[in-house]
Amino acid sequence: MNSDDPYNPRGGDQARLSFDDAPDRFRVGNAQEHFSGASGVLFEQAMAQTRMAICLCDPHQPDLPIVFANRAFRVLTGYSEEEVIGRNCRFLQGPKTASEPVARIREAVAREDVVVVEMLNYRKNGTTFWNALHLGPIYNDQGELIYFFGSQWDVSDVRAAREEGRQAKEMARELSHRMKNMFAVISGIVNVTGRVRGIQSETDEINSRIQALGRAYETTLDNASSGNIDVGEAIRAVLDPYDQDGARLTLQGNGTKMPFGTISIVGLILHELAANATKHGAWVNGQGSISVEWGLSPSGDDLVISWTETGGPNIDPSSIEDGTGSAIVNRMLRAGSGSIDRTWSEDGLKVVLTIPVGKQ
Amino acid sequence: MMADPTQILLLEDEVMILMDLDMTAEDLGCAVHTATSAQKALNILDQHGTNIDVAVLDVSLGQDQTCFPVARQLDDLGIPYILHSGDLDRHNERIRQLDAELIAKPAPADHVIAAALAKAVC
Repeated sequence: MNSDDPYNPRGGDQARLSFDDAPDRFRVGNAQEHFSGASGVLFEQAMAQTRMAICLCDPHQPDLPIVFANRAFRVLTGYSEEEVIGRNCRFLQGPKTASEPVARIREAVAREDVVVVEMLNYRKNGTTFWNALHLGPIYNDQGELIYFFGSQWDVSDVRAAREEGRQAKEMARELSHRMKNMFAVISGIVNVTGRVRGIQSETDEINSRIQALGRAYETTLDNASSGNIDVGEAIRAVLDPYDQDGARLTLQGNGTKMPFGTISIVGLILHELAANATKHGAWVNGQGSISVEWGLSPSGDDLVISWTETGGPNIDPSSIEDGTGSAIVNRMLRAGSGSIDRTWSEDGLKVVLTIPVGKQ
Repeated sequence: MMADPTQILLLEDEVMILMDLDMTAEDLGCAVHTATSAQKALNILDQHGTNIDVAVLDVSLGQDQTCFPVARQLDDLGIPYILHSGDLDRHNERIRQLDAELIAKPAPADHVIAAALAKAVC
């Protein structure tokens, strides 16, 4: 790759550039005081080797013409040196170039200011690229303006990725909205049925489970594409409504991931434990608190969640084991090959949940 | 003399949710006006005006409609309202300007109605 091939202006050219004598010629042809000695050599080397397209414009000539453009500039734009030198940079603009960044450049030049803009530019062959243009004044030792410096970087790929990310985000929001709405509709159906049939306490119980599940699922949207979800976010979302003053609940865990399918078990079990704590456990008297810790087992096969209540009233174990909530938990874990280990101490209930998640 | 029941306006385009809120509000002794579109809600306000004590507004009403015109009308009439929405991130600037409590969906219906009634009692 030894020439400024106008027909292959992109590719890897901006990354691998061979010898470029334009800086040398520029230095020889220009005022010695600006580019002499070691800094002159440095300039020459840097300009020749950098993958960044760079040009210098002369503010002391009419219409701010380019007086120097390195090879990367020529490769990026497809123009030869003769076609570039002496022209104002605006020849890179075209019909679809927005006027806003152009105006910002004009203002920056007028104020001798530094500016970074992204604008659509055109190559010699008519193709376009998104140019991240960095422009600024260069002064000599006496503080006099001698050049404007422009560096161009093709950010078309970055723009495309950004746009893709924006669309993905928009999609996730729409999905999130629809899902919340769906949970609200399900809730509505259950409530209305409960009222019509006169079984409101039963349907209230069902609804509290549906809502806990809704909160747990909501957290899965951010990393929906990866298949695995953050356990901590789901736990936090399920338990959040129970921690109104922020002092009754401590959550501790690393960024443990679990498969999407595990979310309903974790969400519903934590909901039952929290509901029980509100009825019989540490959250009855407003004195107690609960600590929840989670992580993977040493083998990596299981998600282990420990639930520790302290400071609550003395618990009558039978009152908990007989509840429908506990029966549901037991049954769910049995179905999912997990286990639950409940122990009561003077301090309160301690539960260790083990839920198989497979190797991650 | 018995106090008049609280008159509540419920705006919600999803009928099941509307029904749930409706029944809950009735159970709590309210006189309920329901609307599934902004236009219907505005009609109710035209008809009943300041007899309405409080409103619950779903924010996104489908087909790019929002509760914004209704909220403005309520503001003009000096009637308090709360917003009820599952679409917390996407509200446009105008909605964000509204100075009203926002309850995230899904929320228990009695919670939503209770929050509204708290606004009605000044």
